[in-house]
Parts: sequence; C-alpha cells; structure tokens
Amino acid sequence: MDRLGRVAKTWRIAVLLALTVMFCAGSLVGNDHWWPFSPWRMFSTSQAATGSVWSTGIEVQTADAPGEWVRAPLTPENVGLNRAEVEGRITQIEADPSRLGTLARSHAELRPTAAEWTALRVVRRLIVVVDRKPTGEVRTEVLAQWDAR
Amino acid sequence: MGRAVSGVNGGPGSVTGLADRSIGQLGRWLFTPMPVSRVATLRLLVFAFVIVDVVLLHTSGWYHGYADPVWYEPLVMGKVLHLPAATVLLVQALKWGCVLAALAAMTGRAPRLLGWTVAIGWVWYQYIAFSYGKVDHDRADFVVALALLPTVGLAHLSDQRRSEAAGFALRAVQLSAIATYFLSSWAKVRFGGWDWVNSATMVRAVVRRGSPMAQWLLEVPWTLHWFQWVLMGAELTSPVIFVLSEKWRRRVVGGWFVFHAMTYAAITIAFWPHLVMMLAFLPLERYAAWLRSRLVRLRGGDDGGEGGGAGDAAASPDSRVFEGSATP
Repeated sequence: MDRLGRVAKTWRIAVLLALTVMFCAGSLVGNDHWWPFSPWRMFSTSQAATGSVWSTGIEVQTADAPGEWVRAPLTPENVGLNRAEVEGRITQIEADPSRLGTLARSHAELRPTAAEWTALRVVRRLIVVVDRKPTGEVRTEVLAQWDAR
Repeated sequence: MGRAVSGVNGGPGSVTGLADRSIGQLGRWLFTPMPVSRVATLRLLVFAFVIVDVVLLHTSGWYHGYADPVWYEPLVMGKVLHLPAATVLLVQALKWGCVLAALAAMTGRAPRLLGWTVAIGWVWYQYIAFSYGKVDHDRADFVVALALLPTVGLAHLSDQRRSEAAGFALRAVQLSAIATYFLSSWAKVRFGGWDWVNSATMVRAVVRRGSPMAQWLLEVPWTLHWFQWVLMGAELTSPVIFVLSEKWRRRVVGGWFVFHAMTYAAITIAFWPHLVMMLAFLPLERYAAWLRSRLVRLRGGDDGGEGGGAGDAAASPDSRVFEGSATP
C-alpha cells in the first residue's frame, strides 16, 4: 500500500479546506457570478400555489411573409442564446430593443438557409395557476420589439 | 479555573486529547487507502464524459460563439482572469481542444499534465456557457473531480495497489457530490424560504418544461407537492451516506440515480456531470474487471469454445485481489 508523506497530506488538506470554505461561502452569501462556487440553487425559488407562471418566447416576421408574426424557437441553436439568458435581460432589452437585432444576426449566421428575420419581438406568456393547477387561461404580452427597417 | 485549564491540556480525556483523536480519525478517514484501479476507472469515465459533454450534451457555450458580445456578462472568474467574450474561433478551439486532451488523458499517460489540461479546457468552456446570463447550477462539483483525480498520478486499470492518494481523491469527489445535494437544500431555504416545500415550484417546472409524460402530474397536484418534501428531506440527510455500510451506500446511490431518472423523464433535466461524480461511491474496478472477463470470455468463445475457462482464469485473480485487498 502506498502511503503519503506529511507534506503531501498537508497540501491536500489545505486544498480541501479552501474548497470547503469557497463552496460554503458561495452557498451562504454568494451569487451566480461566483461560479463554480455559486450557490447550488436549482429550482430553489418558491412559486405561489395560486398565481401565474410566466414563460418567455420570441416571435418573428420573415422576409417571406412580412407582417405575419410567427413563433420562433428561443434556443442556442437558433439565436445563440437560450430562453433563460433572454429572460434574465428583459430590463436591458426593454431599455434598448435594438439588442434584439443581434439575435436576428446570430440567426442568419447559424441558419444561413432560413428566411431572413425582418422583425422580432419578445413575448411573455402568463399561465394562470390556481391551487397548483393550471386553469388553461393564458395571457400574452409583448415586452419589446425590434424592426429591421 | 485551574482544573479547567489542566483539563484542556492534559490527560487522555482532556479537550485537546479529544480534539487530537478527532483530527486523527478525520485524517484517517480522508486518506483511507482505496484501490488505485478505481481511480483509473473513474478517470476513464470522467474523460469519456468530457468528450460526450462538449460535443453533445452541453453545447450552449459553443453557440455563444455566435452571440453578439453585447450579451456577454463576465463572471468573477472572467473578471479576475480577464477572459474575453466568446468568438467562433475560441469556442471551436476549446471544444476540440477538450476532445483531444481528453482522448490523450484516457491513455493514462502524463496524468497530471493531461488531466489538468482537460480541467482548464472544460472549465473555460463552461465559463463561456455561463457568462451570457444563465448559470447551470449542477456543474460545479465536476470541477473538483477534474482538479483532484490527476493528483493520484499514474494509475492503471489493472493496478492492484491501494493508496492514500487514491483514497483522498475519491473521498474529495464523494464529498463534493454530496455537498451538491446538501448545499442545494440550503439554497432552497435561502432563496425560497422554509416554505419552499409548500410552494408550487415543481408545478412551475412542469408547466415550463414538462415532458408529455409528466402532464398527468399537473392533474394530481399533491404528487408534486409531496415530491418537494421528499426531495428536501433526502437532500438534508444526504451526508448520512458516509456512515452507511457498503451495501446500503450502493443502495442509496441507486436511489439517487432513480431520482435523477425520474426528474429527466418529467422535465428533461439531468445533472449529467454530477451523475458521473456519484460513481465514486461504487467499486468501479470490480465492475471493470467483470466486464473485462466477459469480453475475454466472449472473444474466447469466438475462438472455438475454450475461452470460457480462459475468461474465468483472467477474471478470478483480479476478483481475488480486489476483494481481498481490504487489509493492507
């Protein structure tokens, strides 16, 4: 059996202690920006049993069918960003809707054969939940809009 | 007062004596000699996972190469190390660099150099994925595996030694895997409050990304409510795994895998790197030896029927060594 010397054990313990301190500090006072020492907060927020669950999406107009809004996947494969990343920047998008134009550009790079997007809007769908059960009622609101023209 | 002082400093029952013994026990537990071949097997799985992960599973970092830098939001790590926004060239270099380094590391050569190269590449690639506004919270413990498994040095799949270095690396991986559960229960309390268990968080998850299989759960809301209590209980008590017998430890690991499979079926979310970490609780070298013996037997069968014996012969010395090497 291979044993470790005093020095080898000491630095290993020091590394383990440092990791423990960082992970615990991240969980106690840290935020997502501390990654990999950010708090492990998957599904950690509370959702009221009665209220609304919101889900954000994008709708676009294409050069093929101007004037007609169609839903487009808000996925990295389609626009370079995913839904949560856009949801986290709603304030910035509302302040400066021209940001949405960058999604159309990324889409053109990622999907060069698809029809060009001429307009894009961010839509929030509020799904009404009463006593933990969706009622089927869905409210839609437009948060920001960008137009290529 | 005088008695208290002498109690602190002297005698076997004194406070210092107790503290010394606890530290000694903790040290022995951290450095419990474990099979070097277990580390070799886990490293192989970890590096294989890195390849699958960067190519197939976690590709948002790659697509960020195509996102406008206006969306880049440096994390602390990026500010400290002055990491730039992603470009197509950078994400391509990291993705394929990770694959090449992981393939090279799977050979078992230069374990520290190659292992830490994979670690840097994978962490940077994750950083790019997470610095555009969304951090995936399940991928932090894997950093510990990538950083500490190389510290064991050379380790072959058929290495029959036990070592304290292997014991420490495996223990660190186990500890961080369990910390993921325990500290995520703390995060629920911190961000969701103690009332998290009675909230509709799981309903929200199913509404937002539920699979067709999970829709019936919305019709029977108590199932998701009850699930939140079970999850919180399981996470809070997760460290108990360290005091269980070998048999029960494996059962608990199995239980967690069932939980993750259910989560995947319901909301198509799986904490993939964390699942690899949980394998550190299992006698992987025995599974590898069993697999090898099956392969030898299979190959022997093709050769004309003599292989069964050859397979057994190849397998049994391994099994004896691994089963019998508990005492140094």
